[in-house]
Amino acid sequence: MTDPVIAEEILAPTRPARDGFDVSAFVWRLVLVAGLLLVWEFSAGRLFNEFWSSRPSLIGERLVALVKSGEVWRHVDATVSEALLGLFLGALVGTPIGIALAHYRRAAKIIDPFVMGLYGLPRVALAPMFILWFGISLFSKVMMSFSMVLFVFILNVTEGIRTVDPDMIDLMHTMRAPRSYIMRKVTIPSIVPWLIAAFRIGIGLSLVGAVVGELIGANRGLGWYVVRAGGQLDTTGVFAGLFLLMLLAMIANQIIFMIEQRALHWRRGAR
Amino acid sequence: MIATAGAPRILLDHVSVSYETPRGRLQVVDRVSLAVDKAEFVVLVGPSGCGKSTILRAIAGLNAAESGTITVDGKTVNGPPEHIGFMFQKDTLLPWQTVRQNIEVGLALAGVPPALWTQRVAGLLALLRLSEFRDAYPAQLSGGMRHRVSLGRMLAYEPAVMLMDEPFGALDFQTKAVMGRELLRIWEAERRSILFVTHDIEEAVALADRVLVFSPRPARIVAEHRIDLPRPRNLRALRGSPDYTAYTRAIWEALGDGD
Repeated sequence: MTDPVIAEEILAPTRPARDGFDVSAFVWRLVLVAGLLLVWEFSAGRLFNEFWSSRPSLIGERLVALVKSGEVWRHVDATVSEALLGLFLGALVGTPIGIALAHYRRAAKIIDPFVMGLYGLPRVALAPMFILWFGISLFSKVMMSFSMVLFVFILNVTEGIRTVDPDMIDLMHTMRAPRSYIMRKVTIPSIVPWLIAAFRIGIGLSLVGAVVGELIGANRGLGWYVVRAGGQLDTTGVFAGLFLLMLLAMIANQIIFMIEQRALHWRRGAR
Repeated sequence: MIATAGAPRILLDHVSVSYETPRGRLQVVDRVSLAVDKAEFVVLVGPSGCGKSTILRAIAGLNAAESGTITVDGKTVNGPPEHIGFMFQKDTLLPWQTVRQNIEVGLALAGVPPALWTQRVAGLLALLRLSEFRDAYPAQLSGGMRHRVSLGRMLAYEPAVMLMDEPFGALDFQTKAVMGRELLRIWEAERRSILFVTHDIEEAVALADRVLVFSPRPARIVAEHRIDLPRPRNLRALRGSPDYTAYTRAIWEALGDGD
């Protein structure tokens, strides 16, 4: 059903990460970031007008001010709620659809072009309709975010179930295992890596959905903050908003990574 | 055959199996009749892809026979029969479960009360020399060890009949020899019926009471050899013996030049 490129690069469960914390990589990261920030700081105002790019020290000050005034929480809270609600709604709706599509292959084959068509449709283009249907409250952003992640769950779960080892199922049949036992011991555990992969991809997409929703109509949220700052030619504000969004994505990724480590610990070999 | 106390455990009467393929019907098993007694070790040899595995799958109720009848313990097979243990070439362990949990699958499905599991698992792990690996995951084990766990799971299920489809085919020569020895040790202590598929003639002669030689697809029995080598067998000493060589040569000849 899926294009092999998608299947391999996007849908395949991520490879097991190595144990331990790579100190040297961490130090290199710090050095890289510090270097870039320094270049930025000292070139702004000298090599080019800082109006276009702001500078790290100003962005830092702005972030501190946002945190002190408490305004930052209003925006983070809005964006995170929208993204997380969209993500979990996507998982909740997408997983059973994925299971059904894997089960009813004939039906899946018939609707495949439509699913792929919707999957390929830039959801941003739906934003005007979403505003019309769901208003400019939290709900329309949740739906935008939901529309972004839904297909990731459908496709990953379908693919996950299709890759369940038939010999494992046959073996269970020879021991006359009940259906529920096979489900619990074989099917569900084999789709867990695919679900985690779906969450990993979905978390970024759900943030995109929330921000896109905010760009179009909102009165709070990080996306809204970025757009408003842009409208006021406040580049410092734009970068402060972008930085917070990036931070959220990184934290979310780290959380998924930790869940993955716990849930998929059985993948790690001896040495 | 009349069902008496000495009735065979497995009986195949003119069993044929075909598969539906995109290019039409493909017959893989052609009117095979065979009987396996209680406590008998029967090995099926034949060229790869000849349909030996299909016979095992049909006995296990995984594939339906197109014609003919299969009975296990006098009951006609129609779906997986009771007390059947199956081993594939792959270990088919659950990778997300530890060695102990994988063996417990066999105990759970055999209906052994959970109170007895700890003791049974310990006994099986000792038998298979895996005690230290009780809490390891399959990914942490070598191929040979994984096959021993797989054998342990099958033994935990306490099958009356063990159907083994090239169970050691994926292992290197040495590990295969070790596994063969372990299987004989276990089987000689507690005899059950075994139907074992391989394309390794030496393995067949070393293990079997009886070797059935199959033709290339569709599978038909072309020869039958009773292996009257003394038990318990010492596989290492066996390899040099003239009887052993005579049996392997006879089976080679029965197989012909193959396909």
